[in-house]
Amino acid sequence: MRIGIVCPYAFDVPGGVQYHVRDLAEYFIGQGHDVQVLAPADDDAPVPDYLTSCGRAVPVRYNGSVARLTFGPVTSSRAARWLEQGDFDVIHIHEPVTPSVSVLTLWAAEAPVVATFHTSNLRSRAMQAAYPLLRPSLEKITGRIAVSEAARRTVTSHLGGDAVVIPNGVCVEDFEHASPRATWQGTADAPTLAFLGRIDEPRKGLPVLSAAMEEVLRVRPGTRVLIAGPGDVAAAGERMSPRVREASTFLGLVSDEDKASLLASVDAYIAPHTGGESFGIVLVEAMAAGAPVVASDLAAFSAVLDGTANGRLFTNEDSSACAAAILELLDDDKERARLRVAGLQRARQYDWSVVAGRIMAVYETVTHAADVAATVDEPGLWARFVRPRPRQDGGEQQWS
Amino acid sequence: MELITWITVVVIAIVLLAWYLTYSASRLDRLHAKVEGALAALDAQVVRRAESALELGTSGLLDPASSLLLVDAASQSLETASHRDGDHVLNIRGFAGREAVESDVTAALAAALPPESLAELRMRGGDHAGELLGRIEAAGLRVQIARRFHNQAVTDVQRVRRKRTVRAFRLAGHAPMPETVEFDDALPFAA
Repeated sequence: MRIGIVCPYAFDVPGGVQYHVRDLAEYFIGQGHDVQVLAPADDDAPVPDYLTSCGRAVPVRYNGSVARLTFGPVTSSRAARWLEQGDFDVIHIHEPVTPSVSVLTLWAAEAPVVATFHTSNLRSRAMQAAYPLLRPSLEKITGRIAVSEAARRTVTSHLGGDAVVIPNGVCVEDFEHASPRATWQGTADAPTLAFLGRIDEPRKGLPVLSAAMEEVLRVRPGTRVLIAGPGDVAAAGERMSPRVREASTFLGLVSDEDKASLLASVDAYIAPHTGGESFGIVLVEAMAAGAPVVASDLAAFSAVLDGTANGRLFTNEDSSACAAAILELLDDDKERARLRVAGLQRARQYDWSVVAGRIMAVYETVTHAADVAATVDEPGLWARFVRPRPRQDGGEQQWS
Repeated sequence: MELITWITVVVIAIVLLAWYLTYSASRLDRLHAKVEGALAALDAQVVRRAESALELGTSGLLDPASSLLLVDAASQSLETASHRDGDHVLNIRGFAGREAVESDVTAALAAALPPESLAELRMRGGDHAGELLGRIEAAGLRVQIARRFHNQAVTDVQRVRRKRTVRAFRLAGHAPMPETVEFDDALPFAA
């Protein structure tokens, strides 16, 4: 199948959507499909050969955060050329309502379109204003995918209609076989906890964890927290009490391999995010690596963990509940062992082999529908005007 | 104002109106075609699901009671589907009367394949059972997808057809208003 995937965000900058597009493209290429990706990238940056750059991304403020996007006539003409040269069976557009190459491609697309909605926090004011304009091109989307129930609700309330939920994929094998590292492994007296995410973004929950650590350290003074993620270390350290700072190790931005090793080493992975998470791919990665998960009870997290079957949940933004959940888990060796096994089983449901299979099912449904739609005979526009088109089948086509 | 100016204004207005109506008509036409395509896709998946269910029912892998239940529901579905082929697959009112039948297939699959018996069935039936179950699961998933996409297309048509201009100029012609297809399509077992 000839598949064209459009990613609105700069491909050379890390991000959930970009990783998703990259992994999906590579998985389908591995299966022998012909896949092309259109995304913004610096013209001189090294890019994989399936990627076509639609121009350089500029940082713009949209939907409450800064995103690196492209638009304008250059992007528009490159998108049109990419569509023409690609001659795709299906076009898969990510985040079709961002002001970017996604919208431009949707505008120009002739082939059947599948769209994936990642975000769960669209602001409705912009949507309502822009909708009449976007409507006709949104109608081109034959298949809508949402990455989580939260994202699906956003689609339903802003666009109406419905979407199929297909979660993001994880390469479970990479995490399952990650080797633990001795310096990150905990002992009975000094267990280790992992935190992943930007350290200066409160939404990721480091303040909650810092506060919880006060209590954890009172009961288990040897506990260490390994913090992996970009951000200003000095400033983050200052926001912690001296005791907690001492128990914390800042690893900075880590590579994918290090991330997997970290998760495979620790006694628990803590996800104290306070909101804005549409899916929670890190939780799946942690489960795949065998880290017991303690997470805030966001809807997305609770869905990924399937309630408390595969992890521990605590009341969002409640640091003492967080501390209690951590201490309970550290005291219970059996429960940790159970979660390691159950987590891996759960993570397999999000493996690319499963997720890509579902996305392929969507592609097939959409192309089938498009083949049929194409055979519905088109009366000329003039005929359509002078005589409304009868839809009852089997009868004579009276206008011809 | 001079007469010529008036004529120009009127001509421009007529041209604009004509353009708008043509545009709306072709947009609506595209949406109708989309619904027909989506319905045909749904039809194909529903038939495929019933065929694999029938195959499982007649494979001898299940106990006689479950087999009977499954065969009954599946053949009912296939029969209703083939009745329609006499007309034309692209009948836009197509799915009327089939919803209950398809819900029955879903219920029969759920009854015949309770989660606790799946592992045992896979073991006993070996590769053949695995392949059959895989086909049923794949078809069930595609039924869900196709039904959602169809209903999506239907709501698009319904929204456009509610517009005042579309109604006033009868741009939809005699095309019947498409309706969403509602039946229980829960997967018989977790993917």
